[in-house]
Amino acid sequence: MTPDIPPQFDASIPVIKIDGLTVHRGRYAAVENVSFELMPGTSSAIVGPNGSGKSTLVQAILDLIPRTTGSVQIFGRPIRKLGTLRHDIGYMPQNFIFDRGFPISVTELVQLGWVKTERGMSRNAAITQALQRVNAAHLRHQAIGTLSGGELKRVLLAYCLVVPRRLLILDEAFAEVDVQGEADFYTLLDELRREESWTVLQVSHDLEMVGRHCDQVLCLNRSLVCSGQPEAALSPQNLLQTYGPAFSRYHHHH
Amino acid sequence: MQDFLTLLHYPFMQRAIAAGVLMGLLCGFLGSFVALRQLSFFSHAVGHAALVGIAMGVLLQVEPTWTLLPFTLLFGVAVLYLIDQTDLWSDSILNIVLSGALAIGVILASFIKGYRGNLMGVLFGDILAVNLTDIGLTFLLLILSVSILLATLRQQILLTLNQAVAKVQGVSVQFHRYLFVVLLSLTVAVAIKAVGILLVNAFLVIPASTAKLLSHQFKPYLIGSVAIGAFSSVIGMIVSGSLNFPSGPSIVLVQFCLFLLVFGFTKLTASWIKL
Repeated sequence: MTPDIPPQFDASIPVIKIDGLTVHRGRYAAVENVSFELMPGTSSAIVGPNGSGKSTLVQAILDLIPRTTGSVQIFGRPIRKLGTLRHDIGYMPQNFIFDRGFPISVTELVQLGWVKTERGMSRNAAITQALQRVNAAHLRHQAIGTLSGGELKRVLLAYCLVVPRRLLILDEAFAEVDVQGEADFYTLLDELRREESWTVLQVSHDLEMVGRHCDQVLCLNRSLVCSGQPEAALSPQNLLQTYGPAFSRYHHHH
Repeated sequence: MQDFLTLLHYPFMQRAIAAGVLMGLLCGFLGSFVALRQLSFFSHAVGHAALVGIAMGVLLQVEPTWTLLPFTLLFGVAVLYLIDQTDLWSDSILNIVLSGALAIGVILASFIKGYRGNLMGVLFGDILAVNLTDIGLTFLLLILSVSILLATLRQQILLTLNQAVAKVQGVSVQFHRYLFVVLLSLTVAVAIKAVGILLVNAFLVIPASTAKLLSHQFKPYLIGSVAIGAFSSVIGMIVSGSLNFPSGPSIVLVQFCLFLLVFGFTKLTASWIKL
């Protein structure tokens, strides 16, 4: 007899499964009839022009805004029935910190992500390790207000890393990071994926990085224009359809 | 100072100091969250709307505390609900309900026959008039606020920083928002008797802002805000007793001077670092 595998750890169950998702912003359908699946250990990127509904899609997946129709399942369950499985999700929005004057130190910020788990480390050890992984151990006593944009993003990533997660959702999280920092980030994400089979879903503008580091691309322009492996999905025809003629012309000149 | 020591023998003065310190602690504690959640205009509106609660008490001939508490509580919750249900900016909503409540309050007050001193006193408050019930209520609110917010401190900080992230982490954002508004509205209500409608917000805003200038870590900030709140009350009462100044304004004046002092201090140290 095979032992029962808890459904949340079954590698054949998609980490995210979306079926016919439509989301309205007011009377406007910002996301229309989107369906896709993300399997464990994969890295996917949502690409598309401004206003194409990328952030709306992410927010609807996380149940931060109501959806009009369609279903969303995370770890094989409706999001409202996740219970403590919520702690397996790391989410980094575009502007995590609205107020740079917020009185909080790097250590205190990373600590906010920590929850006690059976297999997890002690709190302080986990915080130290998370900060080391993003090369930010030396910042631990600093106030967040004194960090540069790139440093802040690294610290926020440490916030996501402080407990073992299975799904990381990044909404243009690297917007302010310099090129070297960005390369380090992708290397770390690849490592987390390989070694701990994290699933990564990110909203990105950087098609080159997406092509190099993602298994799956989802081109969004209110509805899903294309999806699949980067080489196929980022074909000129698909880009034309996603971004419109202006973008395509720009790329031909280079 | 000698006058002040003599005053200390009187029970009303002892009650006033106890009330002042408790209020400094409670408002300093809640104020640290108010400052970061940008709720200071909210408590300002609740404070002004309290006039309705007090006028109702006088008209119904009951102790105003017992109409004031339920009224501010309902008002606070209703305002938060309105803010959530419309696309209007929260400061527009707050201005609308504040004006409406003030209008009702003034009209109600015009029905009060005879001596209106009691009612006018609410604008400035009188910490020397607090009774044991007021002190008990403040103490109860302090215990309640501290135990609730400290027990859920991680969630509180997270939802103050970013509500979306807090929600993904499973924090009941709406529950905590309403719970905080309930605590805040009740705090404004109990503080009004002592310091009056016009100055109640100082207790919530000034100590927390002073602490924010001093500290860039959360726990020291929280402790600093509470300590500055309580310290200002003690010094303010001493100033009031020694110089025969009205007590509420004396405390607020001390808070204000401390703020200026800390501001000057941080400016000085910043320029030293540059040198």
